[in-house]
Amino acid sequence: MSNEKKAAVDNSADEAQIEVEMNDAADGEAPPVPSHDELLLTLQDAQAKADEHWNQLLMARADLSNAQRRSERDLANAHKFAVEKLALELIPIKDSMEMGLTAVAEGDEQDEGRAKVIEGMELTLQMFSGVLDKFGVKEVNPQGDRFDPDFHQAMSMQETVDFAPNTVMTVFQKGYVLNERLIRPAMVVVSKAVADG
Amino acid sequence: MGKIIGIDLGTTNSCVAVMDGDKPRVLENSEGNRTTPSVVAYTDDNEILVGMSAKRQAVTNPTNTLYAIKRLIGRRFDEEVVQRDIKLVPYNIVKADNGDAWVEANGNKMAAPEISARVLMKMKKTAEDFLGEEVTEAVVTVPAYFNDSQRQATKDAGPVKLQAWM
Repeated sequence: MSNEKKAAVDNSADEAQIEVEMNDAADGEAPPVPSHDELLLTLQDAQAKADEHWNQLLMARADLSNAQRRSERDLANAHKFAVEKLALELIPIKDSMEMGLTAVAEGDEQDEGRAKVIEGMELTLQMFSGVLDKFGVKEVNPQGDRFDPDFHQAMSMQETVDFAPNTVMTVFQKGYVLNERLIRPAMVVVSKAVADG
Repeated sequence: MGKIIGIDLGTTNSCVAVMDGDKPRVLENSEGNRTTPSVVAYTDDNEILVGMSAKRQAVTNPTNTLYAIKRLIGRRFDEEVVQRDIKLVPYNIVKADNGDAWVEANGNKMAAPEISARVLMKMKKTAEDFLGEEVTEAVVTVPAYFNDSQRQATKDAGPVKLQAWM
């Protein structure tokens, strides 16, 4: 490349020898190699940028570990106090049961006492079901439904002509779902076609 | 490259974990449990159930509910362990053409790794639901006493699984 330029310069004939030499020197040095000061500046600039990025990284890292710690604490607290609302709703039911027991103890042993206990228990149960409902707990009572292992636990099978095969004949224990997630399967007896003969 | 998951493929239960930052994290399945029964069931309606639901219907479908498959994986039908198992389990253990111990459900003969693959797929699904991305690599545990054939058969459950994913 510098040869080409040299040729070009030579071609422009009558230039003084010195000028040619000067041109040559300029061609070789000036554009590709920056001066010492310029290099120093570029280096300083790069170092400053590296430092800045390093600091940003450290800060981001600190932020992340803080966020992790915070979320761990939040989660622990959430676990700890998640039952608070539920507990608050359950307390009146305990009150009601205690009141019922006191009433029975104080009451005379006549038939009207029994009726009152039943009524009280029914009301308490109603309150209790209400609380469960409020917290997204729903009953699974599949009597007569098709057996569904996603929600039912088969305890045994029984031959029958009264139900289509694979139907829930009896529910031993009701199941429950919490916000669509099964927390306890219903314990059931499943029907089976009667074997021939 | 996606995350690599770790699966503990157990005889009765299986478990899946991922690295969350610098700590391993055991994942809960869709039912909120950290372990999933290693049970696979083939129902009359040609449905394949894996995990808790398969276990719950075991009583109603004993011959097509496969469990403790890990005891058969990589074993020959004639081995003593297999012969003893035949007497213990309600499903059919059959001899494959190559002499391996296979199982039978709904009239289909299947290799043990095929059944284990179902469990692995379920564990993979759990991890994918958590990570929100596809998982293509997994480390699966085997007991220290597993021989080469058992180890290879466990690895074979991987490709079967991969095929099913494609």
